[in-house]
Amino acid sequence: MGDEGETMTNNVSENSEPTANQDELILAQQRQIEKEISDNIPLVGELDSVISLNKEYSTDDIYLEKIKDLASKYSYVRRTRPDGNCFFRAFSYAILEKLLCDKDSFIKFYKIAENSKNVLVELGFQQFTVEDFYDTYMEVLKRLKDIENIGEAKKELHNVFNDQGYSDYMVVYLRLLTSAQLQKEHDFYSCFIEGDRTVADFCHQEVEPMYKESDHIHIMAACSALNTGVRVLYMDRGTGNNVTKHDLPEGCSPTVHLLYRPGHYDILYP
Amino acid sequence: MSTPARRRLMRDFKRLQEDPPTGVSGAPTDNNIMIWNAVIFGPHDTPFEDGTFKLTIEFTEEYPNKPPTVRFVSHMFHPNVYADGGICLDILQNRWSPTYDVSAILTSIQSLLSDPNPNSPANSMAAQLYKENRREYEKRVKACVEQSFID
Repeated sequence: MGDEGETMTNNVSENSEPTANQDELILAQQRQIEKEISDNIPLVGELDSVISLNKEYSTDDIYLEKIKDLASKYSYVRRTRPDGNCFFRAFSYAILEKLLCDKDSFIKFYKIAENSKNVLVELGFQQFTVEDFYDTYMEVLKRLKDIENIGEAKKELHNVFNDQGYSDYMVVYLRLLTSAQLQKEHDFYSCFIEGDRTVADFCHQEVEPMYKESDHIHIMAACSALNTGVRVLYMDRGTGNNVTKHDLPEGCSPTVHLLYRPGHYDILYP
Repeated sequence: MSTPARRRLMRDFKRLQEDPPTGVSGAPTDNNIMIWNAVIFGPHDTPFEDGTFKLTIEFTEEYPNKPPTVRFVSHMFHPNVYADGGICLDILQNRWSPTYDVSAILTSIQSLLSDPNPNSPANSMAAQLYKENRREYEKRVKACVEQSFID
């Protein structure tokens, strides 16, 4: 507080100073909002019934109708914290949770992950920083792989994803893999990028930084990077009583099911 | 206690020692790895040449997912440095990426000294002089350089 006061006085005495340190004031406010969210919503929540979504929309008939439709297709939802990382966190969690029930697929996934650091480094990512995330990512995969009992493994997955340090590293690494996928196939993805940004610029600004929200293009690339498919159920105020489903890539048989409400992703279960 | 942030900062420090970029140095303070002291030497062929500018870098447990707070301790006269030493640099705010490390931060600030961005001023006087009266700008910068020897 004392610091702020001092800055203000400086500004008054030196007429030329236009601002207090505006960047820091904005950042401080942003941190406050983030703190309120993080105090109230876990990174990845427990299973909850789809019907529990009603509570969030008690006076909103459009949503209530759509939740009814959603409940006819899915029984449970697992909420994630709305911090801009929700897609990556939900996707990563859901895919690992699925793989825990299928040891062979898990081993296959593990082998591809093992080799992924080299792919990133070949693409020009800095070895030193990539290694930090890679090591943690592999440590988590190994820990899960070594647990025989599926129930125990799922519990561990849940704990890891609610430990901010680990959870965020899992998100970062998936962001890096997604960025690598976009850059590897930049000819294809460049058509989806608005303005005159290159794919590499887009990745540095919208994919690699934490807390940046995900779009269609992120999802396509993340699916392609992990060689899997996802079904997204869109629920918004658009016309009709039904939620709209969308498979990515088109025609895939999805391993992961996500609920999308404008600006946010949660995980869905049959 | 080892947390991802602390573990990562140990790695950053190791790399900075093993493979130091020219013209910058940095190290954690004696009893707290979350607070670093750093020095940037004024780049050659700029008015900042020969200056030794001190900075502090404060990390949170969210590093490297969030950028640290970097501040000049030495008095600076630069279009993108606030009166309190705070730095207006995109990679320290909205363009931060977890793939940056301390080395990358310090070299980015070093190149900001060579190439100020007067269109996003934190010090409007410095920005104006930089654009309109380069000689006066350089004079004011030179005064900072000399002061940096004493600080």
